[in-house]
Order: sequence, then structure tokens, then C-alpha cells
Amino acid sequence: MMNRWSFFNYILTFIIVLPIAFVINHALGSETQTLVHLKETILSEYISSTLILVFAVGFLSLILGIGTAYLTTFYQFRFVGFFVFALALPFAIPTYIMGYIYSDIFGYFNHFHIFVRSLGIKEYFNVLNIYSVILIMSLALYPYVYLLVKASFEKSKSALLNPALSLGSSRKKVFLKIILPLSRPAIVGSLALVMMETISEYGITEYYNIKTLTPAIFNTWFGLHDSKSATYLAVMAMLMVLIVLAIEKYNRGKASYKIENSNAEVEKQQLKGYKLYLTYFFLSLPVIFGFLIPLIWIGVYSYEYAAKFLDDKFLTILTNSFTTSMLTAFIIMVLAFFVAYTSRIFPTALNKYLSKIISLGFTMPGAVIAIGIIMLFTDIDKWLIENYITKTLFLSGSFFTLLFAYMVRFFAIGVNTVDSSFERISIDLNKASRSLGYSYFKTLFKVELPLMKNALFFGFILVFISTIKELPLTLVLRPFNYDTLATKAYVLANAQMLHETAIYALGIIVISLIPLTIIILKRQV
Amino acid sequence: MIKTFLSVAVLFISLQANEVNIYTHRHYPSDEILFKNFTEKTGIKVNVVQANADQIMKRLEEEGKYTPADLLLTVDVGRLTYAKEKDLLQPIQSKFLEEVIPSNLRDNEGYWVGVTKRARVLVYNIDSVDPKSLSSYESLAEKKYKGDILTQSSSSIYNQSLLASIIAHKGEKEAKAWAKGVRSNFARRPTGSDRDQMRALAAGIGKVAIVNTYYVGQLIHSKSFSDKAVAEMIGIFFPNQGVDERGTHINISGIGVTKYAKHKDNAIQFIEFLCSKESQEIFTSVNYEYPANKNVAPSKLLQSWGSFKEDHIELYKLGQFNATAVKIFNEVGWY
Repeated sequence: MMNRWSFFNYILTFIIVLPIAFVINHALGSETQTLVHLKETILSEYISSTLILVFAVGFLSLILGIGTAYLTTFYQFRFVGFFVFALALPFAIPTYIMGYIYSDIFGYFNHFHIFVRSLGIKEYFNVLNIYSVILIMSLALYPYVYLLVKASFEKSKSALLNPALSLGSSRKKVFLKIILPLSRPAIVGSLALVMMETISEYGITEYYNIKTLTPAIFNTWFGLHDSKSATYLAVMAMLMVLIVLAIEKYNRGKASYKIENSNAEVEKQQLKGYKLYLTYFFLSLPVIFGFLIPLIWIGVYSYEYAAKFLDDKFLTILTNSFTTSMLTAFIIMVLAFFVAYTSRIFPTALNKYLSKIISLGFTMPGAVIAIGIIMLFTDIDKWLIENYITKTLFLSGSFFTLLFAYMVRFFAIGVNTVDSSFERISIDLNKASRSLGYSYFKTLFKVELPLMKNALFFGFILVFISTIKELPLTLVLRPFNYDTLATKAYVLANAQMLHETAIYALGIIVISLIPLTIIILKRQV
Repeated sequence: MIKTFLSVAVLFISLQANEVNIYTHRHYPSDEILFKNFTEKTGIKVNVVQANADQIMKRLEEEGKYTPADLLLTVDVGRLTYAKEKDLLQPIQSKFLEEVIPSNLRDNEGYWVGVTKRARVLVYNIDSVDPKSLSSYESLAEKKYKGDILTQSSSSIYNQSLLASIIAHKGEKEAKAWAKGVRSNFARRPTGSDRDQMRALAAGIGKVAIVNTYYVGQLIHSKSFSDKAVAEMIGIFFPNQGVDERGTHINISGIGVTKYAKHKDNAIQFIEFLCSKESQEIFTSVNYEYPANKNVAPSKLLQSWGSFKEDHIELYKLGQFNATAVKIFNEVGWY
């Protein structure tokens, strides 16, 4: 059935996926010679370390994310409000900056080793290895799981806990048998985001020299000067992710995760004794290592270099980062909401697949997507010029291109958060509203939107912060003289001036805190 | 409506016509100073996009004849050669440049010009190594250095160019044997930056590291107490200085005018400005690079490291061997 909703969905997906089609097309002409060389030499090592990294980071992020979400949702203890807020904070620190910070702290002549030597231990602990990368990436990425799963837990706890408890089940049983399985969409959705970002991460893997597929792509592109074979590898990586997601979806089958909404208050269990201390310990770990220690480092060096970098330019850069991220997050969440809603009210196979296809941009390294974007927009521009509509490049290298690139890249975050939340809301509510004579559009605003508020907010934060941190697309696509906090930090880090990056990292944290604070505070009220 | 908007945009662009647009890979504080100085001196506005060279060259390539970029500024000669091969640059003529920049630092057909030099040298731990025992890049492959050598991964463009220079001088086979030998002498799996190699050296991991000279300068002038401590524990050695040897490997930062530059005159003026005495002095004092202009002396710090014989191979030749170098690294497992 062709209707306006689905039609809009088709058009939107087509536009968002277009640059990726350009990338795939670019990969088609790849040199088999290069690919054979890679296969004979480094490819197997690259693939195995990719798999190790992706699974280890995925696993640790799940433990941290689900564990913290569980404790802060179902238990009552002092400072729980603080932890709800603080546990999201590590997301505000770009992974590669966290990587630089820990390599600095653990430098032979730095804080950690001075302390160790004062204890009489002469040993040198080198942190530039894959284990550190796994730990650091998990600390930086578990907030995806924490935020999405917590939203899911919050939704189910009152609806399920009260009836089940009144029937005599233990809390633990209710959680393990009912609430946890019901949160599968949120768990899988967030895990997918963690894994995709792990595959496409470049900064920290480069610095710690962990050979995942992304460095292999750049080895091929920059070293062997074969951008076609490089994109070919990127397309392969993308297909791998796609297959994993498809298997999960198939496994899930027709299981339903919907529950009735309930606003009844559940009494949270009070924690006491050793359990309380264990809880504090577990919750503090990610906050201390994922945020507090990096923040202290950033604070110290920001202070040291403040005079050098705090000028009018800094304000412009701050504004650039803030406005683009706001704009991106807003546009993506509105559109993602429509896309997910469309496949909800018209659950055709095509609509369902489209919501997966539209997420493809997140599985590729930003630099590769940039190729697709550049080719797409220069083609459009050339057409415009040849038809006398414009005289110079109008779209390429413009702010619009950058905004569009962010959409291609981060649509997955929007769709995943909205989708996983929709799966929890019964479609019957929608049908009831329709039978009362409300249009789809009105129903959307009257029924779904209020129920989805939390998920939308979370999605907004995730896209917002991801955009602030975004690097590879911004670097190569930006207009002349356009800087963001992330590009400034990167350029300095790339010149091996790590301490000088601190003030820009601080900017990223401060800006990220704005929406985070608003939303967390609002939820607490 | 759209037409009005466009014409306003076009008008806006033409009003700003006295400008020069640069795609640059360089990310050093010295450059910002120089951009500002150029505008002050000439009134020509400098617009900059700063990104990874390989990616920005892709953008330049796709933009084709409509590109707004007038100049491509990058580090490493391999990239400049590649840009020329890809037909992204155009040859220029300048008496001034021909006079002050030695010919081995320029493209043989005038497509690009080196603006600074950097030497890739050996640094050693002053406690455990007698500099008299050091000799050449080649010697690093000898068994006596087992467990001693520190260097970046092969994705470092500077390692790629160093290997390319060995290919150019000794042939592919010998170069591969060298890479294999050095690889088996690694003190640890290559990680981190050039600075990190020196930090490891000072920490007693390994004895000799291969690094670019300006990173040594950065360490010495660092605000960080620990990096200053590192700098005090290492010495610089210029390899391949023997009478019949070729000299220390040098690389350049270079610049070229794009094939479809809209402000060609401004672009040439900018290049000449970068090679002028005043700019070269900023490069060498702020970023610790060696001046490409033969009439300008290196900064005092650089002079304190002593003068040395340079490998005078025509640098454009290195670019031709870049891909081969990467293949060799992959083959011998120098990740």
C-alpha cells in the first residue's frame, strides 16, 4: 500500500542512503591486486583484532551499562540521584581524548609511575596495548547501554514489578525472568551502537596501534593510494554488522515486548550493609575512571593553557559546536521519529528494512562516508553549474553539506533509540485513538509522543553529544575557516601537543552537560 | 527568490576576492602566525581548511575545476608527488624560489616547493648508549640491536618515506631485508607518536629510537615537567655521516598551486612569502623545523645539535616508492 507516510519514508531513506550508494559504487572498481596483497599479509590480523575488540568492548559495556541501570532503577540509597546523572557523563569525553589522557597519566615520568616508584617498585607499566583500549572504549561507550536500557527499565518497572510482587515473586526473579528479557530491544539496540562505533573508531586505535579494520582501510587508502580497495574493505565491514543485526532480528522473531503503561509508583528497595558498599563501589568505578580522572586531567591543563587559547575565537568555536549539534540532534530526532512511526503504523517488510538501511552510515568510518558525501555533492554542484543555476560550488564545502553528513552518520542513533522504545508501547493504543476518529498525525502527537518523551530526550542527548565529538567528517567537509571544539582538539593532539587539547575537551564537556543536566533534572522531578 | 539569494552570494564572494584559499594538512602553531602575518603584509585574506592530506586531496580531486582551493600545503614529499601524479597541481615559475630553495627540495618540473625540512634521526638513551657505537640506518637491522629499537607503526608517513629512501638508494630487495631486520630488533610493538618513542627510551625501554627532529625540540620546550625530564635523558645522532655515505634522511613540508586555482597570483605570492627570510625564521624558531631557504640559518636550538650532511636525493623520487614501502611493511609484519 502506497500512502503518504510510507512515501515520505522512501524518499527520506533514499536521500540519506545516497552517499553510501556512492561509496559502494566507488568500491566496485577496486584493484584485486591490492586486495590479494592485503589478504596475503595483514588482513587476517586486522580482522581478528577487530573481532576481539568489538566483542570485548560490547561485553564490558553490557556489564557496566545494564549493571548500573539496574542498580539505579530498582534500588534506593543515598546519592542515587547523583549517580543517575554522573553515570552518563563519560559519554561527553571523546574516546580518543580519553586514550591520550591515560597514556599521559601512565607515562614513565608522570603521576602514576612517580607514585609507583615511591613505593620502591621499579617496573614500568606500559598501557599502550589492546587491554587498555578495551577498557577505555568500554568506559567511553557503555553510556549508550546505560541510557537506553535505563529508559526501558523505568518503563517496565511499575507495570511489572507491582503485579508480580503481589503474586509473591521475588524481585530478583521478576527482574531476570521478565524485565530483563523485555528490555531486549533496548539492550540489542544500544549494543549495536557500541559495536558499530568500536569498529569505526580511529583515533585511539591509531595511537595505541591496534590494527582493526578501520586502520586497515586507511593503510590501503593513504599508504597504497588505493581508495577503491579501501572503500571495498569498509563495505565489507558494513556487511558484517548488517548480518549480525539481521541474525538478531531473526532470532527475536515475532516476540512482542509491549507492555501497558502504568504510572503507579513502585517502592524502591532500600540497600543496606555490604550490598550498599558493593553498589557504591560498582557505580563509582565507571564514574571515576570514565569521567572524574579525565576531568581532573582536563581541568589541570585547561587552567595551564587557558591564557593561550581563551579568546574571541574560542567563543566562536564554542558557538559552532553548540549550534551544529543542536540543529543536527533536533532534525535527526524529528525525522527518526517519523521513520519509526511509519514502520509502526504500516509494518510492511519494506518499511522495517528501511529503518535498518537508514542506519548504515554508522557502521562505516566517517572518513569513508565523507568520500560518498563529497562525490554526491560535487556531482549535484557540477550539474547546477552546467545548467547555469549556480556559478561556483554551492553545496560542497558548505555548512549544509556538513549538516547532511552528520545526519547520514548519526541517523542510526536516532532510529535505534526511537525504535527500541516503540517496541515497548502497544499498538492497540494507536488503534484505539484511530477508531475514535483521530488521524495518524494527531494520534502521533496525542498518544505516542507523550509516551516516548524519555526515549526522544535520550536520543537527542546521544546525537547531540556524538555530533559535538564528531571528527573525520567535520575535518574534511567543513567550509573554510570553520572550526569546532573537536577539530581544534584533534589538530593539537595530532601535532602531539596533548596538554593543549585540554581546554577544547573541557568545552566539549561543558556543552554536553547542558542538555544532559536539563533532561536528568527534569526526570528527577 | 533563489536567484536573488544566489546573486547576493556571488556578490559577497566577489567582494572578498582579494583572498587565497588553502587546503592544508599542517597543524602547527607556526602556521597560524604566518597566515596572520601574510594578511597584515599584503591585505590578502587567508582562508583555510585543515584536514588529513589524503582526504583533502580526495576532496580536491572530486571538486575538479570548480575547486575553491588555490593551494595545497602538506607534510611529506610522498603526498606532494601523489598530488602531482593525480593532476591536482600546476607548475609555477618564480625566480625568487629558484634562487633560495635548493633544487632537490623542489619538484623537477615546478609543481611543488619544499618550505621546511625535517631530519629523521636516531635518538638514544645517554645512560646506556655510547653515540660512538651508532652509525647508520642500515646498522639498525644488525643483530646487536636485538630488543633495542623503538619506532612508530608503519602507518607513520615518515617511516614510509624513510623506507622509500632506502628503496631508492639500495633497491627493493635490500630495503625489505632491512625492514625485516629492524622489525626483529623492536623493543616493543610500535605504538604512540614520535614523542612516545622518546618517552619510552628515557624509561629504559629500548636504546635507540627513530624520530623527527622537531619533536625533540617540542620536548625540550615543553611545559610538562616529565617531558623536560625525558629531553634531558636523550641524545641526538645524525646517521649515515661517513665520508662515502649518503647522509641523513630528510623530508619536507611542501606546497603547490592547485591546477584550477582562482587566485594564482596570490597563491604564488603566498608561497614566496612562506619561503621568505622572516617566515622561515618563524618556522625554525616556533616549530623547530629546518629552513628550506638556503640563506636562512636554523634556530639556535637546532644549531646546538650540530650541522650534518643531508641525503641529497631528489625528493620527488621518494614519492614514487611510497606504495612499495607500505607493501614491504605489510609483508615483513612491521605493523
